[in-house]
Amino acid sequence: MARRAPLAGLRVADFTWVWAGPFCTLQLAHLGAEVIRVETATRPCVTRLLPPFADFEPGPNRSGYFNQYNQGKKSIALDLKRPEAIEAAKRLCAASDIVVENFAAGVMDRMGLGWEVLHGLRPDLVMIALSGYGATGPDSDKVSYGPAQVPLSGMSSVTGYRGFPPMHVGISYGDPTGGLHGAVALLAALIHRAHTGQGQYIDLSQWETSMAVLPEAIAAWTMNGAAPERDGNRDPDMAPHGVFRAAGEDRWVAVAVGDDAAWARFAAVIGQPELAADPRYATAAARKRNEDALEEVVTAWAATHSPEDVTETLQAAGVAAFTAATNHDLADDPHLNARGFFVELPHPVVGTRKHVGVPWRMSESDCRVRRAAPCLGADTDQVLRDVCGYTDAEVARLRDAQALV
Amino acid sequence: MSAALGHLRVLEVGSGVAAAYGTKLLADLGAQVIKVEPPGRGDATRARGPFPGNVPHAEKSGLFLYLNANKRGMTLDLARPRGREVLECLAARADLLVHNVHPSEMAAHGLDYERFAAANPALVMTSIAPFGVSGPHASYRGPDVVTWNAGGVATLNGEPARPDLPPLKAFGDQSGFQAGLNAAIGSLGALFARLSSGRGEHVEVSTQECLAAILELTFEFWPYCGLTASRLGAKPIQPLCFMECRDGWIFLCCVEEHQWKSLVDIMGNPEWASMDIFADRLSRGANFDALQIFLAECCREWSVNELYEAAQRRRVPLAPVSTMGDLLASPHLRARGFFATLEHPVAGGVTLPGAPYRLAATPWTLRSPAPCLGQHTAEVLAEIGVDAGALAREGVV
Repeated sequence: MARRAPLAGLRVADFTWVWAGPFCTLQLAHLGAEVIRVETATRPCVTRLLPPFADFEPGPNRSGYFNQYNQGKKSIALDLKRPEAIEAAKRLCAASDIVVENFAAGVMDRMGLGWEVLHGLRPDLVMIALSGYGATGPDSDKVSYGPAQVPLSGMSSVTGYRGFPPMHVGISYGDPTGGLHGAVALLAALIHRAHTGQGQYIDLSQWETSMAVLPEAIAAWTMNGAAPERDGNRDPDMAPHGVFRAAGEDRWVAVAVGDDAAWARFAAVIGQPELAADPRYATAAARKRNEDALEEVVTAWAATHSPEDVTETLQAAGVAAFTAATNHDLADDPHLNARGFFVELPHPVVGTRKHVGVPWRMSESDCRVRRAAPCLGADTDQVLRDVCGYTDAEVARLRDAQALV
Repeated sequence: MSAALGHLRVLEVGSGVAAAYGTKLLADLGAQVIKVEPPGRGDATRARGPFPGNVPHAEKSGLFLYLNANKRGMTLDLARPRGREVLECLAARADLLVHNVHPSEMAAHGLDYERFAAANPALVMTSIAPFGVSGPHASYRGPDVVTWNAGGVATLNGEPARPDLPPLKAFGDQSGFQAGLNAAIGSLGALFARLSSGRGEHVEVSTQECLAAILELTFEFWPYCGLTASRLGAKPIQPLCFMECRDGWIFLCCVEEHQWKSLVDIMGNPEWASMDIFADRLSRGANFDALQIFLAECCREWSVNELYEAAQRRRVPLAPVSTMGDLLASPHLRARGFFATLEHPVAGGVTLPGAPYRLAATPWTLRSPAPCLGQHTAEVLAEIGVDAGALAREGVV
């Protein structure tokens, strides 16, 4: 029997852009929904305009950023400043099970595509708005960009090297966290709809989803009135626990010793078994007390080995470790490649490039990246005809009215 | 109003964040979750702070209380055959089992999907593992600092001017939260598929892959340009930086030129801002060393909130570097009722993050505090017709 995709037959009208929203709908595409991104060349998605461009040559269909997070989707070009395009968008929504948007609060309403209107067209619609601050509350009209969510959420105030200013986390972390929470909410709403026939509106605030992953810091404050101090890569309980310099130019390796038994194994591996019983290091509490000296012990050993050697040696001994992997390391990683994690599907403009695939596997369902990211407007005619119900002549009129750019 | 997932019966064999967060997402939307913990110490999170007054107590961990509200809890020693038998009975009447037992220990814990499915073909089982359950590194161990590096996130974060400082992880077990989110999505996908197929399946989540999937635009620099991303590179555009105000830190965020012009205007159009070296966002990136000195001087004149509000009035997306105190005091979050206080029989009242989303028809709810260790053991066993007393005498619960 052919494997079936979990969301086969479900359609998503995707009005999102940048990263959070597209990351949300990417999950639905992985699960087999027909995700149709509504785009316009008059204001392309920011990620189409950002590097990396294939072979350094800019172009709206050449960005690896866009092409990563829009795999498996279709694209319809609609200039929503035109009334004819709004009408087409309404038809698309009426033919969809899910509408996803991450415009600033109120934008969909002003375009005539708000919940009340769309729900009227499609009573069992599930719609989610992923905004920075949420749809209600005194700050709901504030503007939010991905990089600003990390400090706003409180994450920056507890992330950083000891004694240094607050820091970022290297990515606009609020975006994927918001997008994944959105996918969870949508799937739950779809299950509810399958049982009851009832659709609904979902208000997601990225600020709130970003705080949902900071309970330790928040509870430290509400319980004791003191937030955790920024403490680099250290852990309150485990030691050694950090990222250590290894042999090679700017090469590093993460090492975490979970308990005293792991410490004894670590000591044996580095050829200093006597450290297992050394009173400075024998217990977790002692290792935390003497962590500066402890880290020198780790560094002295790690600095003479490649991060790959450290990883292999320590993991073989049951001690957690891994190279501080770069994007290049990941692309060549034998484990990830053996697991078939990466996706290489042909794209009409950039050819076949390596992309990141689905982080989970399903033993029965057909869950995968089904096609490369779409070129802008690649599916416009097909969607207008087959989904929105326009005739060829009507599509031509829409095009003449400049609605399909 | 009803719960979206009220009919779902979920078993969790979890320790730490990943499995517990995955099932928390379901429990908060109504799923009936039974958390299975080893007798004695229970979930490792019980030993993990913060604790009130910083005094460790198995029933007072802020992290545990957060992750396990809305669940029932039982103890079961899966190292013993009788414990595994009971787990099989429970799995026979569950819709979903989520666990993060390491692949090398799954068999010893009785976590065998084929066996469960023989008795209950509709069961979905979701296995979360640091490097997945198969492949050359499946046996590798990975707490957060290790998977955050293995997934390629840590290497993106550091101090560009300080190559002596290591790649830096984010606060907390973020690997666990990401894996939990992916586990919830994979599980719900499988449960949705089951609505039409009637069959369950085995879902497998690799934490390393969950993280390699969120590298923003950096992964593709290798396949698209042959470039390796680094924490040491300067940001191409500025300002996207932390600055110190009179009373705390703010994050300056000007991506579009009009945002920069508005910010300069708010700062009183200082003379330096018209210098050619700051003419556009790329020049400001290239000349950030000079720019940050001027910006630091300006920001010191302001309070965080004054600058934040002034910028936002002009649609410039600045944000405060919120402290935990700022979050709890936020009028916006208060108006939305974000923080939730729950009364726990041992820990007392604890205030924690609440609803991450608002589903209009099937709201997120907080129905019960996290279970005390073994609180529902007898109750759950009675439901499957097993005498808890006998198991207790054997030390299985």
